[in-house]
Amino acid sequence: MSKLCFVTTGATAPFTKLIVSVLSTPSLDAFLQCEVTHIFIQYGTAKDVYETSAQAARAYLKQKGAEEKLEIDGMDFDSSGLSKQFKLVQETQGLAISHAGSGSILVALRFQVPLIVVPNTALLDNHQEELAVAMDRANYVIHGNVDNLAPAIKAFEDFRAKMAQFPPITAGKQRQSKSFADVMDETVGFTDFNNE
Amino acid sequence: MAPPSAALYTPTFFLALLTTLLLCASLRLLAILPDTRFSSPPPRRKSGSSTRILIVLGSGGHTQEMLYLLKDLDPRKYTHRTWVVSSGDAFSVGRAVAFEKALEEKAEGEGEQVRGWNIGSAHYDIAIVPRARKIHQSLITTPFSSLYCLWACFRPLLIPTTSSSTSSITDADLPDLIITNGPATACILILASLILKFFNVQGASSRGKCKTIYAESFARVKTLSLSGKLLVRVVDRFLVQWDGLDGVGGRAEFVGILV
Repeated sequence: MSKLCFVTTGATAPFTKLIVSVLSTPSLDAFLQCEVTHIFIQYGTAKDVYETSAQAARAYLKQKGAEEKLEIDGMDFDSSGLSKQFKLVQETQGLAISHAGSGSILVALRFQVPLIVVPNTALLDNHQEELAVAMDRANYVIHGNVDNLAPAIKAFEDFRAKMAQFPPITAGKQRQSKSFADVMDETVGFTDFNNE
Repeated sequence: MAPPSAALYTPTFFLALLTTLLLCASLRLLAILPDTRFSSPPPRRKSGSSTRILIVLGSGGHTQEMLYLLKDLDPRKYTHRTWVVSSGDAFSVGRAVAFEKALEEKAEGEGEQVRGWNIGSAHYDIAIVPRARKIHQSLITTPFSSLYCLWACFRPLLIPTTSSSTSSITDADLPDLIITNGPATACILILASLILKFFNVQGASSRGKCKTIYAESFARVKTLSLSGKLLVRVVDRFLVQWDGLDGVGGRAEFVGILV
């Protein structure tokens, strides 16, 4: 049985440290332990970083005699969006690892797949870190550390069971707070529209 | 009567003139800027009345979040949508068209109940405005390109660009509501709408047109984005998606995750 790990690093300014971290030896050991069979990396413009790291990773797997168990592949980016990849993750009961860009997070969560969010700590503005911490606390995602990714990878199977639904089920009729459509109606004066 | 002597134009005179103008401008601003909290609901709007909304799309992330925000948009109430896109942003244009196409498909699925759905090319238009600042553009020329962008923003506010003969005349009115989530263009467009309200152009202020909603990105947990900081005291509704930002600037409303 195959199990896919999809990694997205951002298209325009790829998070190269994440590519290196995913293909480091402690991460590879964690993937093998979790019986992940394929790693698929969206590397954006960082093709050379990806190729060097993938080569080293394959050499390490060969030396361990595990090159059959874990395949590594990649692509630059997909103009049609990443839905196809997240769907494959969902079907193979795999996991996704993403930079902390809100776009990829929102798409991945629509597929209810275990997602490890790795903030780019080198960025000046640390709001990515805040988002990852808050999302982790609410059990929407696992907050991963780019310098030590293995613990987050090992946690993903247990996380699947306790993963919270996103967007929260408070949406729709049970919702206590207002939806965006409610706020729009209120602001222009459609308040009583639904009660007619 | 003899013309005023040149001695009138003293520095003191200009200082007094300037102070008077500033005072008037401040009073006018106080009159058009919203209250601290959204308190007074607008007069009730009849169903079926023509309502134009203006949606500002930004770069990839902003556009995607905006479309999630609008997922329950009711085309029976909001009769005309103007999508504002920065020049060169083909991604956002594509997403706006896809959104409108999806509304049409949804209407087809509804069958008989489709009457009253304001969909199709007569009910939306896409307005392209120049970028306020291109990536890597020099800081010296930025004020000029921003002014150019400001100038261009008046057009989608005053008239929908592709107003076809089939759309009713009221659709060509000022927008009732401006929705944005923070690209740079949004700040400039909101400034343009404030100028319209300031001078009450086409009754922008007296008729309660150009109401504004700003939704801070869901990626903002503890601090506002730059656009958020600029707009927090200016927009009618300022929504935040994490409780840590509730009440920021005395105005932010925490409404939970919206995307």
